Amino acid sequence: MSKQTSSDAKAAGGGGKVHNTLVYMRQHWQLYLLFIMPALVLTIIFRYLPMGGILIAFEEYNPIRGIFGSEWVGFEHFERFLSSPDFMRYLGNTLKLSIYGLIWGFPAPILLAFLLNRILSTKAKQKIQLILYMPNFISVIVLCGIVRILLSPTGFINMLLGTDWNFMTMPSAFRTIYIASGIWQGAGWASIIYTAALSNASKDLKEAAVIDGANIFQQIRAVEWPAIRDTVLIQFIMSVGNIMSVGFEKAYALQTDLNLATSEIISTYVYKVGLLDGNYGFSTAVGLFNTVINVILLISMNQIVKKMNDGKGMY
Amino acid sequence: MSEVILKDIKKVYENGYVGTHDVNISIKDKEFIVLVGPSGCGKSTTLRMVAGLEEITDGELYIDGKLMNDVAPKDRDIAMVFQSYALYPQMTVYQNMAFSLELRKLPKSEIDAKVREAAEILDITQYLDRKPAALSGGQRQRVAIGRAMVRDPKVFLMDEPLSNLDAKLRNQMRAEIIKLRQRINTTFMYVTHDQTEAMTLGDRILIMKDGYVNQIGTPQDVFNKPVNLFVAGFIGMPVMNFFDDCHLLLENGVYFAEIRGVRYKLSDFQQKALAQNGQAACDIVAGIRPQHITVGEGELKAKIEVSEMMGSEYNIHARSNADEVVMVIPTVDIATDVSMGSTVNFTTRPNLIQLFDKTTGNNLIWYDAESVARHEPVCKEYDF
Repeated sequence: MSKQTSSDAKAAGGGGKVHNTLVYMRQHWQLYLLFIMPALVLTIIFRYLPMGGILIAFEEYNPIRGIFGSEWVGFEHFERFLSSPDFMRYLGNTLKLSIYGLIWGFPAPILLAFLLNRILSTKAKQKIQLILYMPNFISVIVLCGIVRILLSPTGFINMLLGTDWNFMTMPSAFRTIYIASGIWQGAGWASIIYTAALSNASKDLKEAAVIDGANIFQQIRAVEWPAIRDTVLIQFIMSVGNIMSVGFEKAYALQTDLNLATSEIISTYVYKVGLLDGNYGFSTAVGLFNTVINVILLISMNQIVKKMNDGKGMY
Repeated sequence: MSEVILKDIKKVYENGYVGTHDVNISIKDKEFIVLVGPSGCGKSTTLRMVAGLEEITDGELYIDGKLMNDVAPKDRDIAMVFQSYALYPQMTVYQNMAFSLELRKLPKSEIDAKVREAAEILDITQYLDRKPAALSGGQRQRVAIGRAMVRDPKVFLMDEPLSNLDAKLRNQMRAEIIKLRQRINTTFMYVTHDQTEAMTLGDRILIMKDGYVNQIGTPQDVFNKPVNLFVAGFIGMPVMNFFDDCHLLLENGVYFAEIRGVRYKLSDFQQKALAQNGQAACDIVAGIRPQHITVGEGELKAKIEVSEMMGSEYNIHARSNADEVVMVIPTVDIATDVSMGSTVNFTTRPNLIQLFDKTTGNNLIWYDAESVARHEPVCKEYDF
């Protein structure tokens, strides 16, 4: 069996196809430009041009004078925020909420996708998926309303526990409530991407693993995990890159005066100072601070993942 | 001993579709059996039921004398090679081959010895550290075979293992499988839709259509003694010529086949067989293999439409009235003009004419009603 055929050699080097595609793209670059033009224009208009607005972070912004007419104050807003006595508390709350959310919330859709993938009946699978996706379409405010009702002293949870605790006033319960309700609402929807990736796992490979004697966990390790690993890594890098971007709506809606010790995060603080008090420059500076931290985290995490994953990362 | 017995094996899917109807076959120890048939005939379903990847709706499956219907695939002592190779892409060749042994918790030294021995046999030792993506199709298929080999299975199952390879590599790998079979000497079940693979690899061939087994027999049997029109048409390349609206005549105890007005007195064997079967005169479909036609003789005439020079032979496509006739004529036997547009006489030897009942499509000589009733159709045996 030592003979090597020319077809073996050809099959081993699949670079020709890629080269041909690149040559074709170079020859018809106008076509490709036309194809990406709408996306490019929209991205520039809605993603890059608004970046000019970050100038507000360095100004005592006055809406009447506009960006170019307002007083330039340099890093004053940043200094004010970083030297604020509550800065560390807000930062800590934000990071804890985000990191705990990542730890508990990130694996949930992956596990859900593995479980869904095990359901053999297509009809049953579709029905379960529908039920899992539905919470995603409930607005955050309605969700928070439901949570408040369920957790009220006379609510369903207290009925089950036979207690009359007011969970919404307990600072220690805030993060659990925030993260658990987030998982309930978003895990099903987030599992779509993993379910789709899992559908690419070869059926033959699964069967080969079964014949090899792999149990469910070994099948997941040998067949299903490799099929979704790249997707999981990209999602993880992106999640880490959003660690400082905890939206203010849900935290604000679940906030009470009594749980502020844990529920006051940077974004709710920015909302209160920036929009309610009209201090746009300061709130933009805090937002920019968040973004810079996010970018640093995104780049760092991508580098770490690349080192751990044979040089494969998000970019 | 690794005998495989399929007893009235039936597969009915949830939607009511019947995948296989009462498949019966007894595969002897170390026998190489090939399941062949067109797409959707149930050959892969049968193999998958043996592997335990499909539930058996009805019937019994025995491997090595043990009932296997409810035994998990890993406990059946089988190994399977898939059409798509089914290699774990994240693992190296070595890891792929060692995977099933690691799951069985064999000592590392034993795993290493088995993997290296199989790699040596398949000549893939130099690729042990590579990942499947860095291998060609042929090399991947060898790894897939190696992965099955290291398990030392009682039964080797192969589901169209060569279908993804190009023609040249397929021929090469076919020869490799023959050699491999001689070395590992175990029971093989091999699924293919390629009749060349079936004829060259199988000790016996099981031909399926629409979930039914049509014939089980040696390659010679299914080629020379097809039990019905389907088997006759499926086995053989080019396909057998069928002449519709022919007649089996019985005159003074002598049988004749009448093809397009030309009478052929059947051979002694055919006379005896038909007489033993009590066959009356009837309308038939006459089958003549392209290789069994002689040109330049006989009363049948055909106009040559296409003449393909294949080197050692001519493949001739001709028209004889309403019939399309394909003839394979060895180049050395050509004494007649076989160029396109010319008209030739042709004939065949009567003993090579296959006689099929026009209504049932069954071969008047080789169809064996008893074996069909047992759902194990073989060609009829005669003791003369």
